[in-house]
Amino acid sequence: MLRAGGTIGPAATLTHVGPPVSKPFGSADPVESQNINSIEVGDAGGVPETVAFVDGIQRYAVEARIGVEPIVRGYVAAAVVKRVAGELVVVDQATDEFLVTALGRLTEEQRAILTGIGLRIVDSGAQDRAHPIMDVRQAALVVERRRDQLETALIERHLVQRRDTWLVVDGSISKVAKSFEDTDARILGLIKSHETQFLEGADLQVAVTLPFGHRTSVFRRGSLSHGSVFSWYLRLWPWEERELLYGLVRIERPSTEATVATASQVSRWMLAERAPLSAPDGRWDRLFYPIQQVETYLRAQLGSWW
Amino acid sequence: MIKFENGRTVGRVIATEALPASPHQFHFWTATDTDLGIGAIVRVDGEGGRTVYAVVTDAKAYSDLASPLHEVVAAEGDPKGLTAPTHRAEIRLWTAAVLRHVPEEPLQPVPLAEVRVADVADVEMALRMDGFVRSESPTGIPIGVYRAAGLQAPVFMDADFVLGPESAHLNISGVSGLATKTSAVEFVLSSIFQHFPKDKGSVAAICFNVKGPDLCFLDQPAQLGQEDREMYDVLGIDPVPFDPVHYYAPFKADGANLNTLRTHEDLIGSVTPLVWGLREVLDYHEVLLSRDDIDAKSDAFLDFLADRVVDKEFRDEWGNTHRVSSFADLERLFRAIFDGLELAGRGDIWRTHHIATIRKVRNRLLNISTRCRGLVTDDGSVSDLPFGDFEDRGVYVVDVAGMDQLGQDLVFTRVVSRLREHLERRELGVDHIIVFVDELNKYAPSDGPDTYVRKMLLDISERGRYLGLVLFAAQQFRSQIHRRVVGNAGTAMFGRMDMDELATPGYQVFSQATKIKLATMPKGELMVRHPHFTQAVFVRFPRPAVLSGPEGIKRFPPQVDISFQDAIVRQLTALDRSIAPAAVRDLIVDHHELDVRRAFLATKRTHPQDVLSYFTASLPKVVRREPTGRGNEPVTPLRVTDDPYAS
Repeated sequence: MLRAGGTIGPAATLTHVGPPVSKPFGSADPVESQNINSIEVGDAGGVPETVAFVDGIQRYAVEARIGVEPIVRGYVAAAVVKRVAGELVVVDQATDEFLVTALGRLTEEQRAILTGIGLRIVDSGAQDRAHPIMDVRQAALVVERRRDQLETALIERHLVQRRDTWLVVDGSISKVAKSFEDTDARILGLIKSHETQFLEGADLQVAVTLPFGHRTSVFRRGSLSHGSVFSWYLRLWPWEERELLYGLVRIERPSTEATVATASQVSRWMLAERAPLSAPDGRWDRLFYPIQQVETYLRAQLGSWW
Repeated sequence: MIKFENGRTVGRVIATEALPASPHQFHFWTATDTDLGIGAIVRVDGEGGRTVYAVVTDAKAYSDLASPLHEVVAAEGDPKGLTAPTHRAEIRLWTAAVLRHVPEEPLQPVPLAEVRVADVADVEMALRMDGFVRSESPTGIPIGVYRAAGLQAPVFMDADFVLGPESAHLNISGVSGLATKTSAVEFVLSSIFQHFPKDKGSVAAICFNVKGPDLCFLDQPAQLGQEDREMYDVLGIDPVPFDPVHYYAPFKADGANLNTLRTHEDLIGSVTPLVWGLREVLDYHEVLLSRDDIDAKSDAFLDFLADRVVDKEFRDEWGNTHRVSSFADLERLFRAIFDGLELAGRGDIWRTHHIATIRKVRNRLLNISTRCRGLVTDDGSVSDLPFGDFEDRGVYVVDVAGMDQLGQDLVFTRVVSRLREHLERRELGVDHIIVFVDELNKYAPSDGPDTYVRKMLLDISERGRYLGLVLFAAQQFRSQIHRRVVGNAGTAMFGRMDMDELATPGYQVFSQATKIKLATMPKGELMVRHPHFTQAVFVRFPRPAVLSGPEGIKRFPPQVDISFQDAIVRQLTALDRSIAPAAVRDLIVDHHELDVRRAFLATKRTHPQDVLSYFTASLPKVVRREPTGRGNEPVTPLRVTDDPYAS
C-alpha cells in the first residue's frame, strides 16, 4: 500500500451502514491561491487575551402518544462562555422547553388537554399519513432548529454587545453570515464533522491528507443564501495510521481580505487550543476543551433529564 | 483570591451515596479561590432554625482530567510544551467534623444547605464557650486566637477544667525547637494568672527548669512585635512579665557557685540556693536507692535510722550520745558502730541489723551526698522552697538543669510530695499549684521501670485535681508517655509534630490533612483539645511577654565560676549593693567554709534589712590571729651546711 502511494489505516472493524449523509457535497472557490495548497502554519500560540465560546445542546423524548401520534418534549439550551485569564465564565445563555407534535392530526379537545400541561406546543409539520418513526424524526428536526435559533440569537447578541471579544462558534457560522458579511468581525466557526465536502479531486486530497500543523489555502464556501464565508481546513493532530479525518477541522471566518491574511495566525491559535485535552470525550481530537465545558455546563443545568 | 466576609456563604453541603452527610461529618464544595483552610470553623443553617457548627478537617482538589495520559498527550510529551490557555475545571471538596448542633436534639444528619464562614459569635458557640464565658461567674482562660478566613476570635479554656475540680492538667507535645512548647506554657501561665477568677481561689506555679536557660528569665520583659501585641489585645491579656518570680538552684559541687545560668550580677541576687540535709533526703530514699539494690533488710535499717536516730538523741551501746542531723553526723555514727563492734568482738549483728546491711546502707547514703553534692550538704544546712508561704500568682522556678538525673529525680519528687502534703492540709499558702515539668518522657515513660517518680506523677494525674495540684507537662513524643498520665490531662496541646510520631496509633483520630498540618505547623500555632471542644481546634498564641532563654543569656550572660570566697562576696553584695566586697572578704577570711555557707543561707532565707550585720551575726565567733611582730620573719636555720641543694 505504501509503495502504491497509500497510507496505513486503523483497520477498525464495523458492522452497520452509517446514517445517511443529508448533504454530501458543496462547492468552493479558491481565494488564497489558484488551487488548494497545503501550508505549514508554524508553532502553536497567539491566543487572544479574551475569547468567548458558544455552543448549544438539545434533548428530546417521546413523553406520550395520543393514538400513534408522538408527543415529543424538547429542551434546548445555548450559552456563551467567556475565557478570562484561563478561567471560563458564563456571560450569556438561553433555554427553551416545549412540546412538539403533529397538531393537524389532533382534535380540538386533545389540543386543549396538551395546552393544559403548561408547555408551549409546536407543530412538527408532519405529513397527513402517520409514521411512528418518521414522525418522531420530524419532531426532532423541530427541536434541532430551535436549538439552532437559540445559538444564532446568542451569536448575534454577542456581535452587537461584545464586538471586541473573539467568539468561537461550535459549528458553521454561515447561518449568521449576513450579520458580518464583508466585516472584520471577531468570529470563528469550528466545524468538526465533514459530511459536506466542498472540495473535490486533487483539492480534496490535499485537504484530507494535510500533515499535522498544516492548513489548506483559504477558499470561499459556494453560494449561500444568507451570506458567504471564507474557510480552510487545519490538521490539529498527526493522523498517520488513523482515520483520514482524525484531528481535521474546518474553520470559517468572515469573507474579508483580513481573513486570508490572518489564516495562519488563527490556525496557530487553534493549535494552541488543543490543550487541555477534552478527552475522554470521543471527539477530543477535534473538540476544544472550552466548548466541551459549555456543553458540560448546559448539561449540568439540565439536571437529571439528560 | 476571593476574600469572604465573616458570615458570608463560602460553599454548599453535598451528599452522595459514597460521601453522605452524617450527624458527625459532612462534605462541602467551595470556589477554587478561597481563603478557607484546615481548621477553619464553618456553620450550616438548615430549615427550621437548625444550625450545625463544624471544623474543616480535610480537603481535596481535583480536576476533570480523566487520565494523566491526557496531559501528556496535550503537551506532546514535553512538560515544557503546550501551555493550556484554559484552566481545567476544578473542585475544592472539603470535609468538616461537626462541633455542635443547635438544638442538640434530635441529632440528625447535617442539612444540605449553604456553608458559611464562622464569625466571632459562631466560634464561641461552636466551641461551647458560651457556657463558661457568658455565665454569671465566667471561668474563661484565653489560650489563643482562632484565625481563619480573615477572622480573629479569642479561644478560651474553662478554668474548672484546667485547674480542677472537673478535670485538670495540661499536656503539650511537639518536636524540640519548633513546637514552642515552653513559650506556650509561659503564655498559658500568664493567661491563667490574669484570668483565673478570684472567687476560685489563689494559684501559683512551680516550674522545673530541666534544660538550659529556658525558664531563667521569667521576670524580664521581652520585646514584642505589633502582631503579638494585637493578639494580646484580642485575648485581653496584659503583656507583662511574671511578678513575683522566685528562683531556686542548688550549688555546684564546689558548694559556692550556684548551679544555674542565672548568675549575671544583676540577677543572681534573686536566686535562692536550694540546699537539703540528711532528713530531707532520708524521707525520699526510695527515689535515690534502686529497689533492685535495696532489699527488705536494708529497708528495715533505713526505717530504723529515720525513726530512731535522725534528729533525735541516740545513745549507742558504748556510751556515746549521737544527734544525727547531717551526713557528717551519720558518718560518725556509722564509724562508732563499726569501731564498737570491732572492739567488743561481738560479732556481726548490731540491734538485729547485720553489719553487711549496715555497711551497704552507709555506702549508699553517703554516696548520695557525693552524687548530689551542691544540693545535699554534709553539714545539715537547709535552704528550701517556702512551703506554707506560697504567694498568689507567684512563680517558683526550680533550676535543676545542671544536675544529673538522680538529683533531678530527688528534687522533683521531694518538691511535689511536699506540695501534695501541704495541699492536703490546706497549708501551702495557695489553693492551686501548677507544676510545670518539661521533658516528661524522662519522668513518666510508657515503658521502663516503675520508678517512684512515675508512680508519683500517676498519682498527681489521677488525684491531683481534687487537691488543686495541677500538672502542666511537655514532651517531644506523646506516644512515649504513660497512658494514664496523658489520658488524665484534660487539655492537650500539639505543636509541630514529627511524622513518625503522627504515625503512631494515638493519632489515628486525626485526618491525614490534620496530621500534615501538624507536621508543618509554624511556630506560635497549636492544636488544642479541651473537654468542651468536640474536635481539636487550631489557635495562634503571641510570643510570651518574658525573655526567652537564648535572649536572656545574650542580655544577661552568666558569670564564670569563681572561688568560694568570691562567690559568697558576689552573692551577698547582690543582696545589698551598698556592701563593700572587701568588708565581706575580711569577715569570712578566718571562717570555715561550712560556717560561711550556713551564715549565707540564713541571710538569704531571712532577707534582713541590714544584710551585712545579719550575716556577721550568723557567723560563729572565732579567735582572730593577732600579729606578733615576728610571725612573718624567716626562721634562722639551726645548722649551716655546704650542701648547695639544702635550701
